[in-house]
Amino acid sequence: MDTPMSHSEYEELAAGYVLGALEPDDEHVFQRHLDGCPICEANVRELEAVVGELAYAAPPADPPDTVWAGIRREIRSEAIRPDAIPQAPAPAQAPAPAPPRARRGGPVQRLLPRLAAAAAILLLVGLSVWNVNLRDQNATYRDRVAALQEATRLANDPTASLVALNAEGPTGARAAVIVSSREDRGVLLIENLPPLQRNRVYELWGIPAGADPATAAEKALVFVPLRRQGTQTLEFEVPIQPGTQFAITEEPGPGGSEKPTSQPLLAGAPSTA
Amino acid sequence: MRGEAYRGLRDDQLVELVAQRDADALEALYERYGRPAYSLARRILTEETLAQDVVQEVFLSLWRDAHRFDAGRGTVATYLLSMTHHRAVDVVRREEKLRRWRTSDEGLELEADPKVGVEDEVEASERRAEVQAALGELPAAQREALLLAYFGGYTQREVAALVGVPLGTVKTRMAAGIRKLKASLRDAGHEEQPWTRQ
Repeated sequence: MDTPMSHSEYEELAAGYVLGALEPDDEHVFQRHLDGCPICEANVRELEAVVGELAYAAPPADPPDTVWAGIRREIRSEAIRPDAIPQAPAPAQAPAPAPPRARRGGPVQRLLPRLAAAAAILLLVGLSVWNVNLRDQNATYRDRVAALQEATRLANDPTASLVALNAEGPTGARAAVIVSSREDRGVLLIENLPPLQRNRVYELWGIPAGADPATAAEKALVFVPLRRQGTQTLEFEVPIQPGTQFAITEEPGPGGSEKPTSQPLLAGAPSTA
Repeated sequence: MRGEAYRGLRDDQLVELVAQRDADALEALYERYGRPAYSLARRILTEETLAQDVVQEVFLSLWRDAHRFDAGRGTVATYLLSMTHHRAVDVVRREEKLRRWRTSDEGLELEADPKVGVEDEVEASERRAEVQAALGELPAAQREALLLAYFGGYTQREVAALVGVPLGTVKTRMAAGIRKLKASLRDAGHEEQPWTRQ
């Protein structure tokens, strides 16, 4: 039902919105209004700060040292002074790394050298752009170069495979992932994803072969598309088994969802040779 | 931590450094907000390991997306704590068994769990007292609606069912409650103030 609402009704919805407590239909209505209403946008910003204060009412609890140790372990390879960050011991609950698994050769495998060459060219272009922009400290480009370096590395990894993601509608979007089951990580290459409304994100999922995506999908990455044209490259980590499929859905931001809440825009499974 | 020099920096300056892949800057932000984020996640989730996962995800997300942080849209504290809240509520809604509160009365409890045994630092303690006092000034029904939503992860319809009032009443109570909370916190001088420990 599309009954017109008065502005005071929208103002009332703002409280539930910042508390994350709106029902899906109310959230949809408010989100649509918010995109074109500077008054409500300013109101939401103010209320978000108020709600942020509520966090301090929680009983104090110190996080165990393993929390920071886990973060430090994850970021170590990407930090600007990785040698300055000591290797943290693995926490007890960390999953054991997946054992190396042989990948079958096939069309996908044969694509990899070409992809490696393409990635190397992209890397050179990326580095040139990076140099030009160094003074601007443009983190976006540096992220991109890091992802391309990772793509090149994975493309030369004999256990890595390439999975093309096909669009589920006439979007013009194209995507592929290069994944290493040995390392449970990969790189997403993507083009022409439609722009998102405010507070919406795209989410990449890894889905075990034959499993129900609604319950078994594992969050791999939350991202927003670049406004400019070109290939976007993003690194991710997710459990990868033989036959793991990948899909991209649109989800509520900023953190995405724990499980997919919409139909995929792009999806693909590894080809069988 | 090694990054003593970072302690004098503002939160938004630290985020700029994080965007440049400076791990010490992330550590400085973790020192400021790791505790309130973990406290919030612990309050929403009953399982410690899930709360730990949420906090790790939040700071790793900042590491990956620091360049997208827009200081014009709010403080770093608001950004981190709202992401913590969002993710913890996602988990609690998925795992129905985790919900701490089955009745509205329980939802109002914000006392420290004696098992946690954490000494309140002075500044955190004062801040907590101010927010608690602001909550205490609210009419009980408004406070109940806000706390069930915020710490219980309940939607407005679920709050209405728990409390036994119409959905419209819950919407009105939340809107009125948050307006009053805003006024009280403004009087206390904490709203939109970056919280930086020296």
